[in-house]
Amino acid sequence: MSRKHNATRRAFVVGGAIGAGAAAAAGAALVPEAFAKSGERETAMDAPAADHAAITEMSATNGGSGAFFNDDDAHTVAAFAERLMPGAPGKPGATDANVLNYIDLALSGAYEDQQYFYRTGLAQLDAHCAKTYAKPFRQLAQAQQDECIAALEHGKAPEFVWPTAQAFFDTLRKHTMEGMFADPVYGGNQDFAGWRLVGFPGAQPGFTRADMQSTDAFTRAPIVGLQSEIASASKKG
Amino acid sequence: MSTEKTDVVIVGVGAAGGILAAELSKAGMKVVGLERGPRLKTEDFMAHDELRFFARQDLRPNIKRSPVTWRPNVNARAHPLQELDYGNEAGGGTVHYGSLSWRMHEDDFRVRTKTIERYGASAIPADSSLVDWPLSYAELEPFYDKAEYELGVSGKAGNLEGKKIEGGNIFEAPRKREYPLPPLIVDESGLLYEAGAKKLGLHPFPSPRAIISQPYHDRPGCTYCGFCQAFGCHVAAKSSILVTKLPEADATGNFKLITGAMCYRVNSDDSGKVTGVSYYGPDRSDNTIEADLVIVSPFIYDNTRLMLLSRTAKFPNGLANSSGHLGKHIMAHMMAGVFVTFDDRYVNNFMGPSAQKHTVDDYNADNFDHSGLGFIRGAQLSIGTPNLEGGPISATTIAPPPGTPRWGAAYRDFIARAYARHGAMVAQTENLPYADQTIDLDPDVRDAWGLPAPRVTYDWRRPNERARVDFVQKKLVEIGQAMGGVEVWPAPVSPAGAPGAHHEGGTRMGSDPKDSVVNKYGQTWDHHNLFLVGSSTYPTMGAGFNPTLTIEALAYMTADAIVNRYRKNPGQLL
Repeated sequence: MSRKHNATRRAFVVGGAIGAGAAAAAGAALVPEAFAKSGERETAMDAPAADHAAITEMSATNGGSGAFFNDDDAHTVAAFAERLMPGAPGKPGATDANVLNYIDLALSGAYEDQQYFYRTGLAQLDAHCAKTYAKPFRQLAQAQQDECIAALEHGKAPEFVWPTAQAFFDTLRKHTMEGMFADPVYGGNQDFAGWRLVGFPGAQPGFTRADMQSTDAFTRAPIVGLQSEIASASKKG
Repeated sequence: MSTEKTDVVIVGVGAAGGILAAELSKAGMKVVGLERGPRLKTEDFMAHDELRFFARQDLRPNIKRSPVTWRPNVNARAHPLQELDYGNEAGGGTVHYGSLSWRMHEDDFRVRTKTIERYGASAIPADSSLVDWPLSYAELEPFYDKAEYELGVSGKAGNLEGKKIEGGNIFEAPRKREYPLPPLIVDESGLLYEAGAKKLGLHPFPSPRAIISQPYHDRPGCTYCGFCQAFGCHVAAKSSILVTKLPEADATGNFKLITGAMCYRVNSDDSGKVTGVSYYGPDRSDNTIEADLVIVSPFIYDNTRLMLLSRTAKFPNGLANSSGHLGKHIMAHMMAGVFVTFDDRYVNNFMGPSAQKHTVDDYNADNFDHSGLGFIRGAQLSIGTPNLEGGPISATTIAPPPGTPRWGAAYRDFIARAYARHGAMVAQTENLPYADQTIDLDPDVRDAWGLPAPRVTYDWRRPNERARVDFVQKKLVEIGQAMGGVEVWPAPVSPAGAPGAHHEGGTRMGSDPKDSVVNKYGQTWDHHNLFLVGSSTYPTMGAGFNPTLTIEALAYMTADAIVNRYRKNPGQLL
């Protein structure tokens, strides 16, 4: 469900160092059976180093492992989302929540009609960054990425025609927030990262009078998703 | 292609159509209901899924299949609205609404007369078509009562037969008896709002809602899950038409509901009678229903649109339009938001029914002196959740306080800190009717059935309306400060002029066929066996009150008139 475009995993694949333990440790409570198996299968291949390199190269050139984005665009969107909602210790961000996977799956499904919007917007973003920084967005330093996003937000990126820079920013922001805070069934909000960040206990069946009139954070029941829960609603960062 | 015959056909089975379907079929009339969307079940609402139901608006009309376009004035190009705040299934908007259930104030029904009495005729903007309603509160009271008791509304009376009661709404019109159910539990944000408003000398109370606070009519009480406005209720505690009146209609054996049915024309003959309706089925089949009585009760855009689409050589300007007022006098509540955060407590406002939980009525309608203020009429002031929905996706649409960016580490820290510690207040402001605020057929945009989309021409930014929004938004800021908020800030109100919530008008009721489309029963002046029922008939908004209970009361009144009078002499003008 939720491992496409996972930067951590890619780093492991590139380094040839992925282990079953590492895959299982990332969000253990949430990893569905099918995914856990595919992770094991991948690590059990035990291919020689040369084959690893070939696999890696293919992955980088054939469009990566997402449902919609090619690899460059995936990196761009992941970097953009992370600047919109940056992670920090104890504060899960867009990468922690796997926002990229949410947007990728949405564009291959419910938001299919926005594929052209994204393709064109990302090409304009690359053009803007090539002109301003002589590098694509995904390769900029964080401060430059922030400067670039601010320019889009305020409509100060003349390379944008359609979508406009502001429309592109607004859509990326909207979809990043959805990927942070929508139920994990849609591929983002991994390990309830977004809900833990803000203190939302998820799809609760109900609340009591004491819950409703409490002035403390809600910790009575675990965070609940449509398909799963974690053991405590207290923020674990 | 099929043709069938029936006594009554009802187009749109929501707040108005569902009540008429039940009441007429119980009286022995054969009723066919046409519904554009599906008929869902309570089990369909088990998924507490904010993305699907709030962000993607799963229970609303699809904006691509059923576009509604908007432009601020006749010189601008219309574009499809990106959100359509009404229903798209059997039960209509009552399936997903916040369930606010208001009776209008007594004087709301004679607003023109009362305004002139108190402030003089010059207080009414020259271009406003403000009028009295063709009926009184006293006429409607028994039907308000019936709606509250048959459907199930929770609240606290503030005026029992003239006796004012603290803790209820002391400004409300006199009611004959208490609400059938006690108020819903007040949450922490409501308690803070209550205390803050009282400090300012105001009169707060828990909002009346069609959500049952205790078991009622074989349905369980509310669980306070919070997935309320935008969602269907997973335990059927929301007193929607889907779980109240449609089962009643089913039980008669006289009611048939056809879903996936897109009505595109009301058929008429040259005598002025209507003969039935035509509709496309889900398989694109073209079907006709012949009926003695046609009731049209979809959301307001489609009332006007259907009359225009039904034009004939005899009625070239559309059905029911001899007055020329069809599609005019469109109104909407402008929603002026104010947010407040706390640093000494959690508020957790994602709990409980999410819309407009606790209310102050002191600045609504003519409940306060407008002398020297530069505007008339007011707003219902309430606290609840942003967008009336309390999940975190909804919270990310809040414009953060001045100085806080919309993204980046500072935004992340804001949302992390404020989400469970904020209150969202809203002033639901009445707008006056103006003849040049209209619905017509869009010349360019068509819906999935190839029919011209309804086009709304509307700009709320008139002097009277701007002054009102500014005034009530400041009042909310004062309440937020009195609540002990550390940050209190107003949100921008529709800067481009687009209409807000609860669109009303287009087929206004009146007492003169020359300046109205229907009489107080929704009966069209031009075709006595054609009724238009719903908030499209409102001649004014009444107040800053959500319209649904009044729609339901009017539907009961129309049903009563049809069953007890019209049926004995079909074709008579009521």
